[in-house]
Amino acid sequence: MNARLLRMATLPVALIALWEALGRALGGPRTPLPSKVAGEAALLIMSGDLPAALAQSLGRVFSGFAIAAAIAIPLGIAMGRLRAVERNLDPVIESFRPVAAIAMLPLAILWLGAGSGAAVMLVAYAAFFPILIHAVAGAKGVDANLARAAATMGVSGATLARSVIMPAAMPQIAVGLRIGLAVAWTAIVAAELAVGAKAGGGASGGVGQMMFAYYAYSIELNRIIVCMIAVGLVSLALDRLMRFALARAMPWIET
Amino acid sequence: MAAFALIWWAASVLTDNPLLLPSPQAVSAAFAGLALDGELFTQSALSVVRLLAALLIAFAIAAPLGLAMGMSKRFEEFVDPVVELLRPISGIAWIPLGLFIFGVGQSLPIFIMAYTATFPVLIGTVSGVKSVDRKLVRAAETMGLSQSAIVARVVVPSILPALLVSLRLGVASAWTAVIAAELVGAPNGLGYAISWYREMLVTPKMIAFIAMVGVCGYFCDLALRLLAARLTPWAPGAEARR
Repeated sequence: MNARLLRMATLPVALIALWEALGRALGGPRTPLPSKVAGEAALLIMSGDLPAALAQSLGRVFSGFAIAAAIAIPLGIAMGRLRAVERNLDPVIESFRPVAAIAMLPLAILWLGAGSGAAVMLVAYAAFFPILIHAVAGAKGVDANLARAAATMGVSGATLARSVIMPAAMPQIAVGLRIGLAVAWTAIVAAELAVGAKAGGGASGGVGQMMFAYYAYSIELNRIIVCMIAVGLVSLALDRLMRFALARAMPWIET
Repeated sequence: MAAFALIWWAASVLTDNPLLLPSPQAVSAAFAGLALDGELFTQSALSVVRLLAALLIAFAIAAPLGLAMGMSKRFEEFVDPVVELLRPISGIAWIPLGLFIFGVGQSLPIFIMAYTATFPVLIGTVSGVKSVDRKLVRAAETMGLSQSAIVARVVVPSILPALLVSLRLGVASAWTAVIAAELVGAPNGLGYAISWYREMLVTPKMIAFIAMVGVCGYFCDLALRLLAARLTPWAPGAEARR
């Protein structure tokens, strides 16, 4: 076990040491070094800048994600259960789905300005499709006997959807939610970066904007790397959180 | 679909501001115009060529690495922590640092896309190799095949379906990343064209390019599905739908 841990630590430690050594030997005063990155990380956390930016980004992710889930889950269930709805909506959905969320950003900026609105819309757009598609698949895959049994007992319409279809489709929906949240976090970073780049600074805030400011206004490579690591850590934490929440809410499914 | 166009048209009449929401006619006219003078295709071709270059790079790195990681437990223990440390950092988060290293140009979008596509391909390959039927490998060993022949004749054919699926995932995420990268740091390409026409406030052309992002994304996926149906006709779900 210890030998295994040692093997697992070897390469990361070696790479970081190599980075530090090469950076010191060859780099200029601006070259990022692991030691400097650690120092800057401590500074950014202590000053509250990084936590504030992350909190802002997370707030946008959660609101966008909530919007996406609130639309996509009922719509997906309707599409999965009702032929007519699916036949009418599917072409529209399928023609929007391949359009990368980021491509929508200029349109979002145009409509909602370079603030939180555009970022939230982008997150909602990005998270919408994975949730929808899994909800459709989940609703379609519901055991036909369950639906028939419910129909025999006189349950129909919204009650059927809420108390039979939805719980039965939940494992699939849960997968969609997890993917959607991961996609949402990627989208927010991209949106804030691009808003920062295209709206000429502006007060849009968030961790993406913070990174862009360190690139464009004050060249602080160490701080960019701190932000990158923070982005990675948050995405890990979000996934863990989501798994935990889903496992808590629905102990019968496997996530 | 017709209803959607109708709603769009009605909304554009109601907002009555062609800068915010141009009518469907204006957008299709812009699309046709851009297609006629070729700008639509030159910009898409640039982005798609970058996508292909990045895929080649990602594939060249991820497939052998994934093969090695799947075959050797020990090698996996060495490499996996690095992969898992980098994986949560999305390609898009590399853009500022990438801008600094590569500057505005071809290399930045290619780097971002190659980085993004590497992880799905790598993970698909590793899990593909791990799920290769042990009996097949043992049978090959019994018949005296060398290690390299086993890889070439047994392992690679059996992971091909998983590899192609992961390639499709890689393309999907790389395509998102290229638009972001070009939006910020490229002198041309689809992402650049979108943001250029936004700055020029030529909304119909901007929407035409946004639509083109979808068209290219769709055809890239279709091409990969056809390739999968061609290369691995036995795999479930490989038949090209639609």
